[in-house]
Amino acid sequence: MVKLLKYAALTIILAVMVFPLLWMFRVSLMPPTGGLSLGAFFTPIFTLGIYYDIFTSGNMLRYFFNSALIGVIVTAGNILFCFMVGYALSRYRFIGRSFWFYSLVFVLMIPAHIIIIPLYMTIHHLGLYDTYGALILPFLVNPIGVFLVKQYIDSLPSAVEEAARMDGAGELRILIGIVMPLCKPALAVLAIQVFLTNWNSFLFPFILTSSEAVRTLPVGLALYQGHQAIDWPHLMAGSSLAVIPVLLIFLFFQQHIVSGITAGAIKQ
Amino acid sequence: MTTRKFTGLLFASPWIASFLLFWLFPLLYSLVLGFTDYRLMAPDYQWVGLDNFTALFSDQAFLSSLFHTFIFVLGTIPVTTVVALALALLVERQFPGRTVFRSGFFMPSITSMIVIALVFTNLYSRGGYIYLLAEMLGLTPPENGFLLSNSTALISIMAMDVWMSVGYYMLLFLAGLKSIPMELYEAAEVAGAGTWRKFRSITIPLLKPVALFILVINTIKSFQVFVEIFVMTKGKYGTSTAVYFIYETGLNRFEFGYASAAAYVLFIIIAIFSLAQFRLFRQRSVW
Amino acid sequence: MKHILSFSTVALALLLSCTGGEQRSDGQATLDWWQFWTDPAIKPTIEQMVADFESQNPNITVNITDLTWANGHEKIVMAFSSNTAPDIVELGSDWIPEFSSAGKLANLTADLLADTSQFYAWTPAVYDSALYAMPWILGTRVMFINKNLVKRAGYDDNYIPLNWSQLKELCYKIDSLGKDIYGFGANAAEKHRLYKKFLPFFWSNKAKIMSEDGSFSTFASDRAYAALKYYKELCDSTSMVDTQRRLEDAFLDGKVGVIISGDWLLKRIHNENPDIDIVTTLIPGPKYPGPSFVGGEYLAVSEQSKQKAAALKFIRYVTSPENQLRFCKANFSANPSSKEAAKDSFFVETPHFQTFVKQLALSRIPEIDEHWVYIEDIIENALEKALYQNAPPAQTLYEAKLEIEKLYAE
Repeated sequence: MVKLLKYAALTIILAVMVFPLLWMFRVSLMPPTGGLSLGAFFTPIFTLGIYYDIFTSGNMLRYFFNSALIGVIVTAGNILFCFMVGYALSRYRFIGRSFWFYSLVFVLMIPAHIIIIPLYMTIHHLGLYDTYGALILPFLVNPIGVFLVKQYIDSLPSAVEEAARMDGAGELRILIGIVMPLCKPALAVLAIQVFLTNWNSFLFPFILTSSEAVRTLPVGLALYQGHQAIDWPHLMAGSSLAVIPVLLIFLFFQQHIVSGITAGAIKQ
Repeated sequence: MTTRKFTGLLFASPWIASFLLFWLFPLLYSLVLGFTDYRLMAPDYQWVGLDNFTALFSDQAFLSSLFHTFIFVLGTIPVTTVVALALALLVERQFPGRTVFRSGFFMPSITSMIVIALVFTNLYSRGGYIYLLAEMLGLTPPENGFLLSNSTALISIMAMDVWMSVGYYMLLFLAGLKSIPMELYEAAEVAGAGTWRKFRSITIPLLKPVALFILVINTIKSFQVFVEIFVMTKGKYGTSTAVYFIYETGLNRFEFGYASAAAYVLFIIIAIFSLAQFRLFRQRSVW
Repeated sequence: MKHILSFSTVALALLLSCTGGEQRSDGQATLDWWQFWTDPAIKPTIEQMVADFESQNPNITVNITDLTWANGHEKIVMAFSSNTAPDIVELGSDWIPEFSSAGKLANLTADLLADTSQFYAWTPAVYDSALYAMPWILGTRVMFINKNLVKRAGYDDNYIPLNWSQLKELCYKIDSLGKDIYGFGANAAEKHRLYKKFLPFFWSNKAKIMSEDGSFSTFASDRAYAALKYYKELCDSTSMVDTQRRLEDAFLDGKVGVIISGDWLLKRIHNENPDIDIVTTLIPGPKYPGPSFVGGEYLAVSEQSKQKAAALKFIRYVTSPENQLRFCKANFSANPSSKEAAKDSFFVETPHFQTFVKQLALSRIPEIDEHWVYIEDIIENALEKALYQNAPPAQTLYEAKLEIEKLYAE
């Protein structure tokens, strides 16, 4: 009975959570001439024409590829760098440690619209404008990611590392061989979070690039919002497709949140 | 000991490099501009000291944008945190269909805010599904839809925001729950503790680092709420938030010095809130 | 601190100037063009025009950058303010003064002056008696009426309201048809749109924002008050209040009797509901016909471009009558800026396009200067208060008038 209640509750929550997304998907199956009349949601008219259109005309595939490429590189970079930096901030005392910690939070606290003009100038100045580099290099160390890892490592007992250090293990070995496996859940969250943020990022790619060769998916999708009318079916179809890669990344990494730390690993 | 200091610096170097190369100049640039009357594209500008800051505190538009921001922050964060924790607890243990529920709850966080905001603009408007649902439940939604009414626009956007972000914070709580060693629960069971007792004295205290992270990140993000406002109401109907004010002032009216000053006022407010959270959690963990 | 800042800005500017596109000695020029037309219906035409231009001018290459309607303005602002603007940029009519008044656009007076009689809508391109942009594709607003609802309201099939009281009566009768049927589609407090819907009523009652010599604001005149009072009555008693997009959705669904909109709605009707029976007409004033609002897209050359001659050549090519016609046919646009293009049979044969052509001749653009961004805001806030927050219209207008005058006093 309790179990049944739990499932009922979960199902209701699930319905609330996915309904707007189902709406998005339903609109993407509308014929282009159908408009967006609300009753149409339940009418049995479906077409995959828009999806066909997205794959065959325009450069959507290219934008997908760009977003995926940038997303993978930035995510990989962040897993490594955020882990390193977060570990350093959590476990080492070094010159300017609190300054560097606060600088992370500082960057997060200033609205993007205020810093994007000087950033745009910097990117131009470095010759990175309209390149992949403009969308990768500034974002390789995500402050939220570092903060996440630092908080996570803070919560882990340091006894295991100390023991390894006593045994003469090098710092890098401790980092990679001991701490990293313990951080799997945090790194999994980090990977999802970074990929997701990057995948949906609009403002920076829009400002820092201009040619179609390096255009990312959110910028490509924004072009469907016309001057006076929104191309709903295309926009919703593109957005539905855009969900798939992140969902796959989520499904892949969430296993690590499940398995996480084996019980005996951090006996104090 | 010196080698350890050096190693720490080495491990932190990716951020140090990134900060110096990409972020330091923009931060200083905007900070300095906050003390000038710089207008975008104007040939020159004057040092005005604290004038921008004093002007801000008598600027009705800025003050009301701050007020809306506070409502947004104080209204969403507690709800988001509690719901996210509840969802995490619901889907933590293994049961058939768990991945489906987890993925479903996380799905709203996946889609871009721009798209979500456009979708909800439809759902909230007169004749939209949320509007119809409200009518079916016997409520009287505002005549022109939820977003075109001063009394419901902001709260509707807040509700959307909670809907959208709980999945992400659920994920963080799940990671946090996994860092709690099972032995603690087992030991507590041996000692005869019930579910509530275990939750209060093991789960809650040990979730603190993650909870702190969630609160701080959510605070920083929520104080800077912008995209949903930009897409859904353009700051009308009592939804103009601080960052929307900054955007409007800086990039549409070109009063960039003034907007930078506003950004730093917001910065100080966010910093105070975050610091308070750090303090609060540090003290509690001593108890 | 200030010195550090100006030093770094200067250093950056110097470096940037080295990397910017330069006129090469062999006469080759590469032009960067930022533009907004990305719809699959029109993008191929844009690309084809560029290709044709390049083949006619083998020494010039044009790089297109697409901007989005929602955020393009930001990108243009950032580019101009950091001196990295492209050679040619498409600007909306209400944006031009921001850049021309700051000296960011090339003065094209000498080159364009001879053309002024050949094109419509120069007002926004003028700053301080000089021309800074070339009108390209314009857009005026006309009145769309659902004939089916007119008939159901007991009128003759071809009825068209010819003055304010007829319009109000028509809307009222349509509104009385049923719960889900609305007389007039009124814009909610929607930024950059609300004032465009009100100004035709304001103008048609011969009201003005500023006095003739610009020394004071006439925004609170009797005529302005009468216009606002009428518009408020129209909205209060007969209308659906929503955003422009959703008003158009409802009109397409056959739920709204009368709506003011632009040629894009014809395109939507054509694509989404070709069966709907409509008539378009000039917007009535107290007498028929009244003026309407016109906005549009303009092409400008940035002041720092090193290839102004080539850029101008390209602008002239794109805005030539033949190419405007090409554009209008592909994009289903009714208002080319070229008077010669507007005479083409395309605008006669396409249903409803003549309404737009006629309305354009009666249309106006507010006198936009560098204060416009504030004035627009003041007007829209006043309208919002009077229409939707039950503030007394006379008082709101008077407060707005004082605010406008304060701007000019500073």
